Amino acid sequence: MSGSKKTFVITRFDPDRDEAPRQQSYEIEVDPRWKVLDALNHIKDEVDPSLSHRWSCRMAVCGSCGMMVDGKPSLTCKDSLADHGDTVEVAPLANFPVVRDLVVELEGFLDKLKQVKPWIIRAKERAVEEGTHRQSPAEHQEFKQFSMCINCMLCYSACPVVANEPDFLGPAAIALGHRYNLDSRDEGDHERQEVFRGEGSVFSCSYANECSEVCPKNVDPAAAVNQAKFRAVIDWATSFVVPRGGEG
Amino acid sequence: MKQWLLRLEPIIWLLFGQGILLGTLLLTGWILVVGLAIPLGLVPAEALSYERAHALASSLVGKLVLLALCALPLWKGAHHIRSLAIDFGGAERDTAVAGCLYLIAIVGSLLAIAAVVRL
Repeated sequence: MSGSKKTFVITRFDPDRDEAPRQQSYEIEVDPRWKVLDALNHIKDEVDPSLSHRWSCRMAVCGSCGMMVDGKPSLTCKDSLADHGDTVEVAPLANFPVVRDLVVELEGFLDKLKQVKPWIIRAKERAVEEGTHRQSPAEHQEFKQFSMCINCMLCYSACPVVANEPDFLGPAAIALGHRYNLDSRDEGDHERQEVFRGEGSVFSCSYANECSEVCPKNVDPAAAVNQAKFRAVIDWATSFVVPRGGEG
Repeated sequence: MKQWLLRLEPIIWLLFGQGILLGTLLLTGWILVVGLAIPLGLVPAEALSYERAHALASSLVGKLVLLALCALPLWKGAHHIRSLAIDFGGAERDTAVAGCLYLIAIVGSLLAIAAVVRL
């Protein structure tokens, strides 16, 4: 430890005791190599065990530790303390209901993920003896980028449309649905188009691009959303020529 | 009305997208030529004399360009203002606001069609 000190201003909320979120400050000695998550774990372990925050892998894979750090959505296990000043503000992810302290409610987000049917849909299931679905490296490359999402929800926190329109499917869910639409093994495009053009319409996106700015895995959800819009237009236009809803 | 808007979103977005791409491109070119190049003498004024301009505008390509120039920016503007209204907290009034804005774009587009047909 180098002995340098930082003050962490953390948003606290206990639904059994607090009527509204409040802020609590902790001044601790930090190692300059620490990430923001290391400091939160130190506070939890050594200073105040009542602090609640969510984390797991500590290597930007599980997507659990997303929080607002100095007002910006951040994956705290990837966010170096060295990039912040002497005072660091930590709050729960914006645009989500808070369960307790820095822990947010995931139900709404998980429901949106389910809506886009993030699995391979086949018109007719393939028998095991027929072998695997083959896919070329070029076909895999088509959607690989959009499959790198770790569901950390930073994009929902940054999105101005999510903030104003709670029904909007949101960047990660659209990117995931689009990922399956681009998959050469998938035949569920039309089913997902109904979702993409429904209540949570992809067209609600006003292309602020904030989702791609904050994405810690460079998924570029804004590109996925706009490609999805174009596919939705093509699907809409061709629906007048090719009837939908027939047996596969 | 909300369901109608949802159903029409693809065509609205297509017109908005073309408003950004074609509308902005054509409008910028138009302003550069008519607002700057001709007044500054970079292009001789006779190049866009009434007879030449009328002949150009009366051709099919000229009519299509004029129609795109007049109508597409209306859709771009309408959609942008709708997004702006939502960003400023108008999500609950979106259906009414969007209805009014797109109505203006529809009327403007119809007037533009009538104008180019009469050329």
